[in-house]
Amino acid sequence: MVVGKKKKIKWIIIVSLLVVFIAITTSIVIVSQKDLPTEDLRLAREAISLAKEAEANLYAEKLYKESLQMYDSAMVNWSRENNRFILFRDYSRVINFAKKSKKKADDSKEESIKKADNLSKNVEAAFVSLAKKIELYNKLFKDLPLSKSIFDAHNKSRMFLSESKIAHETGKLKEAEVLFKKADIYINHANTAASRMLRDYFNDYSKWKNLANDAIAASRGGNKVILVDKVAHKLYVYQAGKAIRSFEAEFGPNWMAHKERNGDKATPEGNYRITKKKERGNTIYHKALLLDYPNEEDRRQFAIKKKKGVLSRSAGIGSLIEIHGNGGKGFNWTSGCVGLRDRDIDDLYRLVSSGTRVTIVGSIEPLSVVTKGLDF
Amino acid sequence: MKSKLIIAIAAMGVAVLFSSCAKVPQAEVDAATAAIQEVKDAGADLYVPEAYNALVDSMKAANEKIEVAKAKWFPNYTKAKATLAWVSQNAVDTKAKSEARKVELKAEVEAMIVEVKALIEENKALIAKAPKGKEGREALEAIKSDVAVAETTVTEVEALLANGDLIGSNDKIKAAKEKATAIKAELEEAIAKKGGKK
Repeated sequence: MVVGKKKKIKWIIIVSLLVVFIAITTSIVIVSQKDLPTEDLRLAREAISLAKEAEANLYAEKLYKESLQMYDSAMVNWSRENNRFILFRDYSRVINFAKKSKKKADDSKEESIKKADNLSKNVEAAFVSLAKKIELYNKLFKDLPLSKSIFDAHNKSRMFLSESKIAHETGKLKEAEVLFKKADIYINHANTAASRMLRDYFNDYSKWKNLANDAIAASRGGNKVILVDKVAHKLYVYQAGKAIRSFEAEFGPNWMAHKERNGDKATPEGNYRITKKKERGNTIYHKALLLDYPNEEDRRQFAIKKKKGVLSRSAGIGSLIEIHGNGGKGFNWTSGCVGLRDRDIDDLYRLVSSGTRVTIVGSIEPLSVVTKGLDF
Repeated sequence: MKSKLIIAIAAMGVAVLFSSCAKVPQAEVDAATAAIQEVKDAGADLYVPEAYNALVDSMKAANEKIEVAKAKWFPNYTKAKATLAWVSQNAVDTKAKSEARKVELKAEVEAMIVEVKALIEENKALIAKAPKGKEGREALEAIKSDVAVAETTVTEVEALLANGDLIGSNDKIKAAKEKATAIKAELEEAIAKKGGKK
């Protein structure tokens, strides 16, 4: 009876163990048959890595962030599923997230490459456009008596352009774009202000044209007439209606203005005459031809401006405007006089005499000719 | 026979117990995560980005290996642990590389600041020698403004450097150097022109 009971227990144990063994084996088989998300996660991770290499975090930020979020969601879900009982795990959501992550990463890489390429092209085009603006400044405005704020803006623009180029060369395209935009703002400010100044100055062109025509006409009788073109920085000697000589001329730093008062460093515009010829020893500027500035018209204008309060009460009209030597410095350095090279003043000195007419104008040529048709 | 059966059941129980006790290597995960953060704090993502990205990628791979192990009846974290150990070890190397690059870059920027400052001083001296007449100061205003812009940039670079922005300061000082060199050439040309005309 006891033996039979023992046998029964033994069989029960053996059968139980067999059932457990079969259950475990079946579970292992089921689990091993389950589609693990390993490969999908690996592909997603590699795609993210490639997207980062393509700087998708910079140029396709939204898609790149989404791909990271999808990857993280996949990992969180994977971990959650792994914490469930082995037979109840379902990796389909994990796989889904991993696949979406890969897709987003691939898309972000593609978008990043495209955007970076476009940005690079845009920045390169912007460099060309900016270089043209700088060239325009150098051609038209550089030698104008600009205010400090204008050339400061121009210089800052060039500095930002240099920085932008360095950023572009090192592949920092967004930084290059930001710097270029700053450079563009500064050069636009400089060019706009300078071009306004130039256009405003040429408002007097018809007056200058008449003065120049009169001067040339006055030379037709055989007298020599000096015609000074401030914009061209030229001094012409006319006789019989023709320019018989021309010399390079320099003026005061504020040459693009008509002289109004002493110390304004402007060169007067109008009709004058040589009142005195100064030989070497009588001038510190090699040789000089003293003009009759201020003439009657200058005095009249000076009085009006003083009366209107445009000029201060203490302002003086100025004097001692000459055509003299010591020039050829390559910039406008006088106090308002016309500076020539010594050899040129020597020649001019021989050509003219006291009483010779001197007509000084802003420009003989119209603005369109001066600017050589440049669009500004 | 009975005792043998009991031993077999106990052994199976121990095996099941042992296998269920194989824990996620959390200490290693935490150490690797902390190491990566330390490397990032050292600016490795900026100064040695490739090495830094490799660490981040390996950390992700290690996390995946952990989940792969967790998904099994009998988890084995050996592979995950090896990857985590690689991350921790390489984080040390990456941090060292980042620090070295920072030192190198800082030295480069500092040397360039000295160079640009010297160029600016040379330019100031050249301005004094540049052709000018009785109103020379006004005439050279544009060049002086250019020098001032370069000088301001150097000040900005020094501020960036003080804030630890080595990359920004490096780019800016390069631009300042270009500018100062161009001004010097312009002034030297003007002086040479003046000399030639005498």
